[in-house]
Amino acid sequence: MKYTEKEIKKGIKIHIIENEKFKTNLVAVFLSMPITRENVTKNSLLSAVLRRGSMNMPTSTDINKQLEEMYGASFDNGLDKTGDNDILKFYMETINDNFIPQNDENMLKTSVEKLLEIVFNPLIKNEKFNDEYVQQEKDNIKRIIEGKADNKARYAFDRCIEEMYKNKPYGLYKYGYIEDLESLDAKNLYEYYQKMISECKIDIFVSGKLDQNTLNIIENNENIQKLNDREVKIINGIEKKEKVEEKEVIEEMDVTQGKVVIGMDLDLKNEEQKYDALLYNAILGGSASSKMFQEVREKASLAYTASSSYVRYKSNIFIRCGIEIKNYKKAIEIIKKQLEDMKNGIFTDEDIENAKKGIISSIKSIDDEQDTEITYFFGQELTNNKITLEEYIKKIQNISKENIIKIANDAQINTIYFLKNKEL
Amino acid sequence: MQIIENSKVKEKLYIEKLENGLTIMIIPKKGIQKKYVIWGTNYGSNDSKFIVPGEEQVTEVPKGVAHFLEHKMFEQESGVNSLDTLTALGVEANAYTTNDHTAYLFECTENFYPALDELMDYVQHPYFTDENVEKEKGIIGQEIMMYDDYPEWKVYLNTLEAMYHNHPVKLDITGTIETISHIDKEILYKCYNTFYNPSNMAMVVCGDFEPEQLLQEIKNRLIDKKANGEIKRIYPEEEESIVKEKIEQKMDVSEPLFTIGIKDKIVNEKEKVKKHIAIEILLSIIIGKSSKLYQDLYNEGILFTTPSLDYEFGAGYSHILITGQSKLPEKVYEKFKNTINEIKQKGIDKEEFERTKKTIYGSYVREFNEAGEIARMFLSDFFKVINSFDYLEEIPIINENYVEQILKEVFKEEKMVISVIKK
Repeated sequence: MKYTEKEIKKGIKIHIIENEKFKTNLVAVFLSMPITRENVTKNSLLSAVLRRGSMNMPTSTDINKQLEEMYGASFDNGLDKTGDNDILKFYMETINDNFIPQNDENMLKTSVEKLLEIVFNPLIKNEKFNDEYVQQEKDNIKRIIEGKADNKARYAFDRCIEEMYKNKPYGLYKYGYIEDLESLDAKNLYEYYQKMISECKIDIFVSGKLDQNTLNIIENNENIQKLNDREVKIINGIEKKEKVEEKEVIEEMDVTQGKVVIGMDLDLKNEEQKYDALLYNAILGGSASSKMFQEVREKASLAYTASSSYVRYKSNIFIRCGIEIKNYKKAIEIIKKQLEDMKNGIFTDEDIENAKKGIISSIKSIDDEQDTEITYFFGQELTNNKITLEEYIKKIQNISKENIIKIANDAQINTIYFLKNKEL
Repeated sequence: MQIIENSKVKEKLYIEKLENGLTIMIIPKKGIQKKYVIWGTNYGSNDSKFIVPGEEQVTEVPKGVAHFLEHKMFEQESGVNSLDTLTALGVEANAYTTNDHTAYLFECTENFYPALDELMDYVQHPYFTDENVEKEKGIIGQEIMMYDDYPEWKVYLNTLEAMYHNHPVKLDITGTIETISHIDKEILYKCYNTFYNPSNMAMVVCGDFEPEQLLQEIKNRLIDKKANGEIKRIYPEEEESIVKEKIEQKMDVSEPLFTIGIKDKIVNEKEKVKKHIAIEILLSIIIGKSSKLYQDLYNEGILFTTPSLDYEFGAGYSHILITGQSKLPEKVYEKFKNTINEIKQKGIDKEEFERTKKTIYGSYVREFNEAGEIARMFLSDFFKVINSFDYLEEIPIINENYVEQILKEVFKEEKMVISVIKK
């Protein structure tokens, strides 16, 4: 694997990942900006409108037929809330020319061009987007927002975050708000698009079996040429955590199983502690040998899912489990006991070694999957903290028990969210 | 080992059936970090009635035993759980149960052989006690309740309920809280001894390996066990007709979820790969992303994401499933039927047919990207007596006449059902 990057204009970077072992080439475009209540709904709608058509492929049918001709190239786009940033993501994956029966075209070039066309040359007529597309997509976004509670486990997680970050950027729902959709139309959305596309951070990734020419293809692309320099306004760094009173939020819905989500704040002092936190999380609830899995599931037989996850960009850990509603108090008690044990260093050197092995193994396999690899490099780009996989592994190896206990003592519960049944 | 090479994806399969009946498949992949191994038995949730080799009488066990066994296999006599041992080695271990097989797997970058020791040790040494069996009922009970909150799972099960009169494919893989309450250690041992015999099992490994050497390592870890005779599996008589056309359930969803099902005849051995491809082509032409039907439904606001299209088949069952979310599921159903009739009359458009073939070819090639995906695919196809490479070979030669014939034979209105979940 060989990674190179080039800033072709201020705020616009091309990242090239050469890798021979895949059957596919993957191209990705990421547009990044701080997330705000004002823009989150616009971005959500924009993401949906852009996939409907471009100047040269004006309908979804045109796009889809084109993709099918390219041996079923897949195009995908979506939204991600990464820390306090809103990221619009666009991907196109094609099979590598080596595996195409009649080798008559440069599939990589075609896919780069088509993807850039969709993002940077949308269907515009009379200085606005297509009215019909905007209307239909407003309706679709509304349905997505209304469907927020369809997946109860996901809903409980979203709700816990909202409670923790009330009136703050990270508490925003990435698909936006119904009341903010009303005022959007084909004209003002296009005005927003023009402003956004001239100000956002742009990262273009290409991964696969590439040639010398790949960089040139992108640099010389007419849609890229027309973009200007920009000042990047991404939000990164370590968030300072205030001491807060532990909050309990209980909601009732039509569920068979109760869903517990516990949001914790980690008050980290420096970048290095982010690695310690990763290890802390692995021991607490990151694997089958973790405290959560062992104590809540295996020993107490209270849950099928019991785990925790670490959100690096916001210095949070979220503990999640699905339990029988009547066992709520008991589950919280057991979970809190685990947090205390972590603080008091009640875990073995073996636990640490095992957690390290698990993390290192996942670092090593980062470059076995194209999208994982792109996500890794993009994460570094956003946080402006570049380390190689080897350095990353070394950092994990060097973490001591004291480092982990320190994290445990700097962790505090912010919110306990419980979704339960109406009858009880 | 026998070597089967595929020129389209430029991969090789090394395969050998050992004396004890175990089949080993190795797909070497140069230069990748990840190593993936999966060991499966041809025993799934459908197999609850059978004749043990050497016995005469029929054995019938509660629903959910295959899945229960999957949970309990990790338990060891030493008191250590194998999942912990594997996790401690830094490997990611897991297991799953389907309608027709159960599989144990791990992936890693380091410690492959120590982890293989553990995997092969625990799968070959069950340890069930009254106490550890009772404890698992609580955990599996929570798993069952978790699925109860998934409308996607309910809409699927209801579709099968509407299609099948008797076949066990319509039942929950986990069993129910009631059926698992009857499971005890004797039942688990009996099923283990019947189905976890090497002759009923297969192992697939994918990663950067030298195949012959790996084969020897695997052989060294096998305990001495003879191949047993054929297990006779008994499935109830299943009529060709559906049970009822419509089934509905109320759940808290913002917009109805639906699955359209088409019950098919049991697939003939020789034809299954070809037929599978033909059905994929047809589904894509009828209601795929670039189809006229999908575009119309999208523009009218009836559908806003592409439905997922599946064809599932196994011993004694075979059906098509089209699943999506819509304000008006009935409308989707009606237009779906109309479109099928139109295509039956007009025939398949040549250009569309060729384009769809390209798409499906590309999707097969892509399945050879990731070690885990490759290994799981070879295992699950193997239990259906299919070599996964066959799909790549069949697709270029499939023709319109055959696809049109399948359209007439399979896409019949009297075989269709619709399942809806709504508020």
